[in-house]
Amino acid sequence: MSTSVIELDGVVKRYQSGEETIEALKGVDFTANRGEMVTVIGPSGSGKSTMLNMIGLLDTPSEGSVHLDGRDVTDFSEDELTEERRSGIGFVFQAFHLLPMLTATENVELPSMWDTDVDRRDRAIDLLGRVGLSDRLSHTPDQLSGGQQQRVAIARALINEPDILLADEPTGNLDQDTGATILDELTRLKEEEDIAIVAVTHDEQLVEYADREVNLVDGEIGE
Amino acid sequence: MSIRDLLWQLPSVGMAWRNLGRSRVRTALATLGIIIGVVAIASLGMAGVAIQQQATSNLGGIADEVTIRSGTDSTTDGVTQEQVDRIRDVAGDATVIPEKTNSTTLTARDGSERFVSVTGLTRASTLYEVSSGDNPDRLRSGALLTNSTARQLGLEIGDPVEYDGQLYRIRGLIESGGGGFGGGSELVLPLSALRDQNYYDSVTIVASDGDEAQRISDAVETRFNEGDEEILSVTSFASIQENVGSFLDTLNLALLGIGSISLIVASVAILNVMLMSTIERRGEIGVLRAVGIRRGEVLRMILAEAAFLGIIGGFVGAALSLGVGLVAFEVLAGDATLVFGWASVRYLLLGFGFAVVASLLSGLYPAWKAANDPPVEALRS
Ligand SMILES: Nc1ncnc2c1ncn2[C@@H]1O[C@H](COP(=O)(O)OP(=O)(O)O)[C@@H](O)[C@H]1O
Ligand SMILES: [Mg+2]
Repeated sequence: MSTSVIELDGVVKRYQSGEETIEALKGVDFTANRGEMVTVIGPSGSGKSTMLNMIGLLDTPSEGSVHLDGRDVTDFSEDELTEERRSGIGFVFQAFHLLPMLTATENVELPSMWDTDVDRRDRAIDLLGRVGLSDRLSHTPDQLSGGQQQRVAIARALINEPDILLADEPTGNLDQDTGATILDELTRLKEEEDIAIVAVTHDEQLVEYADREVNLVDGEIGE
Repeated sequence: MSIRDLLWQLPSVGMAWRNLGRSRVRTALATLGIIIGVVAIASLGMAGVAIQQQATSNLGGIADEVTIRSGTDSTTDGVTQEQVDRIRDVAGDATVIPEKTNSTTLTARDGSERFVSVTGLTRASTLYEVSSGDNPDRLRSGALLTNSTARQLGLEIGDPVEYDGQLYRIRGLIESGGGGFGGGSELVLPLSALRDQNYYDSVTIVASDGDEAQRISDAVETRFNEGDEEILSVTSFASIQENVGSFLDTLNLALLGIGSISLIVASVAILNVMLMSTIERRGEIGVLRAVGIRRGEVLRMILAEAAFLGIIGGFVGAALSLGVGLVAFEVLAGDATLVFGWASVRYLLLGFGFAVVASLLSGLYPAWKAANDPPVEALRS
């Protein structure tokens, strides 16, 4: 039996830009379960990133509710949301977003850097080993290829043992083959760690790896 | 555990250190601004102290003395005995030394002549330092002569000098410049030698300290001079010292003001540098916030960067200022080691403290702004 880790209920997100109000999400219902990889696919501007921000507790909905592990987190304060992100959610970005002055190991440690946790370093090294970067531990991002950087980012997303890993166009900046290896990696980790993965893309390639596919068109889930 | 590991025990500090290392030139320039500010504050402050110490030591014991002469509204051509007695009343425990002055020509052994100033007084020991021979508390007979005059005339202790047709035996040799402002006389004789002069030319009062001198000076003024009238002219060096002192205080304040302005300019530069670097790193800080770094942690990280700038700049600035201080004290006060006195060392601490506080204050706004930037907005940028 699978448990829903994240749940969006009738989520509406409006943005005010000038006089105009843009409705980026128009009542989205969505759930993701442990051990499954869901891809959200849709054209550019359809609201994929906005939806991922709702799931990742980076932003709050204008209407509707968000549940994390069965708890209603819709009205959490920014500080409470930060704690949830820290302990329960991992992020992988299209542009990798590693810190250039930190080594691979330090980048992986980053989310737990401020915790007084002694085996943080060991876990970071272990994770880097699992994404095949044992020999790149003290390299800085500029010494790594795009695919390697994205693996470091994946290891970073896993450092706090999240329940859910969110990826916004994770292969968007990579070539076809490298993208495929990253997706292989994610699929394997999903099973090993028993986490939910929500990946957003406009790239059909990702769909092959998905357990489930959600189409987002103009802020609405389509068929 | 290495220093690096220790640094990372405080992640904010470790992150700050790495961040500053990323744009070395910018960091160096920001630090330079602080260094200049600190050097300005600390070395100007210390120079002020050096000037003050030099001025005080130059004024020395003079501040304890009051000199009284006949004023412009006096009916007599000098200070009368009756006035001296009344001055004694006012002076209390302080030593009152009336003096008559004149000049004469002394003849050397080889027949050459020399024009010298003469003073007649009883309490020579209070006003003159004797370098050889004796210096009686009360000079009743005999004479004192300055070393240099004695040398020029080839005179020695025991030799006679003539004044007004009478011979006086030299009892002691004195250093020149004794006896109040403007230097003393070359030949010191008993008061009786100048008995032809009815009035005293000056009365010197030696008080126990500057405050007492000031008190006596004020009392003499009120006792003898009514309104704008000047029967006696009273010169107190205590008031001069006070004036010099307050002038120096003002000078010091002005110097510190200049120093503070340069530190304010430096803090504006830091504010600018921190603001620019946080704006540039907006996306990066968004990532930090997205992966669960707390607002307070981001704030501490950026404040640590500002603190680093302040500490490094403050330290280097204080070190340079110490160098400037050593030179200033060597030149102005003649003793470089005086720089280690609290009066000047506190300016080093002040400069350092100012640098750290100013940097932290300048870092506050950029840090606050970065910490409170919504992560989605920051990531979109
Ligand atoms: N912060 C914002 N302010 C204004 N409009 C926004 C903001 N974020 C997204 N939008 C708008 O919402 C719509 C959906 O954007 P987004 O979720 O980024 O789409 P996608 O990721 O599918 O390309 C777009 O029209 C975009 O311009
Ligand atoms: Mg997007």
